[in-house]
Amino acid sequence: MNILRINMSAETPDVKVEPLGDYEGLGGRALTSAIVSREVDPLCHPLGADNKLVIAPGLLGGTAAAMSGRISVGCKSPLTGGIKEANSGGQAGHVLGRLGYAAIVLEGKSKSDDVYKIYINKDGVKIEKDNSLKMLPNYDLIEKIKKEYGEKIACISIGPAGEMKMSAASVAVTDMELRPSRHAGRGGVGAVMGAKGVKVIILDDAVTTPRQPKNDEAFKDANKRFVAGLQKHPVTGQGLPTYGTNILTNIINEVGAYPTYNFKEGRFAGARKISGEVQAELEKQRGGNPTHGCHRGCVIRCSGIYHDKDGRYLTKQPEYETVWANGGNLGIDDIDKIAMLDFIYDNYGLDTIEMGVTLGVVMEAGLIKWGDADAAINLIHEVGKGTYLGRILGNGAAFTGKAFGVERVPVVKGQALPAYDPRAVQGIGVTYATSPMGADHTAGYSIALNVLKTGGFVDPLKPEGQVDLSRNLQIATAFIDSTGMCLFIAFALLDQPDTFQAFIDIVNAFYGWNMTDNDVVEYGKKVLNFEKDFNLRAGFTKQHDRLPRFFYKEPVTPHNVIFMVKDEELDQVFNW
Amino acid sequence: MLIKVKLFGGLSSGNKFPTNEEGDIIVGVQETLTVGALIESLALNKKPFIIVLNGIITNDLSIKLKNGDELSLFPPIAGGF
Repeated sequence: MNILRINMSAETPDVKVEPLGDYEGLGGRALTSAIVSREVDPLCHPLGADNKLVIAPGLLGGTAAAMSGRISVGCKSPLTGGIKEANSGGQAGHVLGRLGYAAIVLEGKSKSDDVYKIYINKDGVKIEKDNSLKMLPNYDLIEKIKKEYGEKIACISIGPAGEMKMSAASVAVTDMELRPSRHAGRGGVGAVMGAKGVKVIILDDAVTTPRQPKNDEAFKDANKRFVAGLQKHPVTGQGLPTYGTNILTNIINEVGAYPTYNFKEGRFAGARKISGEVQAELEKQRGGNPTHGCHRGCVIRCSGIYHDKDGRYLTKQPEYETVWANGGNLGIDDIDKIAMLDFIYDNYGLDTIEMGVTLGVVMEAGLIKWGDADAAINLIHEVGKGTYLGRILGNGAAFTGKAFGVERVPVVKGQALPAYDPRAVQGIGVTYATSPMGADHTAGYSIALNVLKTGGFVDPLKPEGQVDLSRNLQIATAFIDSTGMCLFIAFALLDQPDTFQAFIDIVNAFYGWNMTDNDVVEYGKKVLNFEKDFNLRAGFTKQHDRLPRFFYKEPVTPHNVIFMVKDEELDQVFNW
Repeated sequence: MLIKVKLFGGLSSGNKFPTNEEGDIIVGVQETLTVGALIESLALNKKPFIIVLNGIITNDLSIKLKNGDELSLFPPIAGGF
């Protein structure tokens, strides 16, 4: 496996293919964070020539291992000013792996306003200026690319938000149907791709073959046990395929942890109308599909296809976080309007969480009314058009909060909080506060144990045990994110030791390694150390590992609880 | 006394109960009834895995119910992301 380096500073972008070298043994998040930590000046401007955008499939990308097609996108984040790894499904992870690349590194900065497309096939790399693609939304862009390159491709692209270098801009990845519906959403990675002048990377999947394991028989056996374990577990085998991720709306609402009206309340009266149960039923009625994988090789299939009232494709099944941010968070209970927002975000290339929280901030400011979905949609079109107002909103919740003089801005390190109130689920508050990524639920998903009783139970309303919980989950997650496996495998891994072993056996059989449980922990710590070290050098202190103060002062209904984990306890999360 | 029961994630009761306009079951029960006994009387299609009593997750089936209590029941589920 090689690293493909493309320097965009040269008149004709400069291409180098290098062996992994010092980065041997790293993949996915481990590789993006290692490269950013070692090679990027932590004090650089995120949109400048010194930042790098690293796109890496996981250790198992391009292999026949189930669930292993995730892709990591890393850089210094324009949203947080710290290190970023944003993770996406879609087809690109596997195709990039099959093409023989452990990472693409976009370096330097174009001196012009031209936009480029990068085409990669088994024979090499071709970079072309193509200003006909300028400011195309993602769906239009991919239609145009399909006409030119056919359908046996996978694409990584940005929409207008990325070209305008907005801090909420995402990087889109095409799914099995070649739609740009999967996104590395968080932290403004799309803005960094835009700053490099790269509009789209086209990966040609013709005549590629899966990467071959060192020990083929052991690999096949481990994969078989792994798949059986995922299918046996009630969550990965039944709940997620049937209802998708939005199955969480009702449970999080019932336990009073559903942030409503910009984190003022913990329950939303309209939650049931926008729940996964309603959404899945609607998808079936309209000829969509509630059970669909975001990439080939996925056996959980938590994704889906959402059709409009006339039975036409509108968007992929909106995920729980999207439905929350643009639903209960705003007082909106119309699932079709939320699905429309999901499509618009994907098309402009915007993070659905950051933008939903941003809309909550402007509703707080009184710019539009709570629950006004049409006004919310109009505001997002302002972002896509790049009007002055749109450029404020497209830079996220913290920036918008400042512009409108709002105190209640739910961010950590400048990144918007996701769909769980940290007062009613204290463990996720520890993760939000301490993750090097800023407020990121996926970094250490305590909900699994605090609410869903997967892998045990830790009382969500008490501060005790939350630091250990978050630490252990952050370490394990850093490893899973490095393999390219979907994080949803964790539900089965936490409950079924034999499935965990099968997962490790897959990695060992593929690489000829002998990793043990302890090695997994050390690997996860190493990744987090890269990230913490970068942030330290970028000027982050322990005071940045805190929640906004209103979470410590304002009790949230219905449990009337505040965030109670002490600052000095938060400082122990990475003390190993 | 009256107890409200909310079923989610594909859970359904094999018995007929009165419901409110949101479809929640409203059960009239005698005092001293426990959470476990109420769940049993519902004759659910699947065993509930997450039991939420008045917004609090509980594993204790021996808790005695009070008038106005709300019981929310879920099969094993997960999601997010």
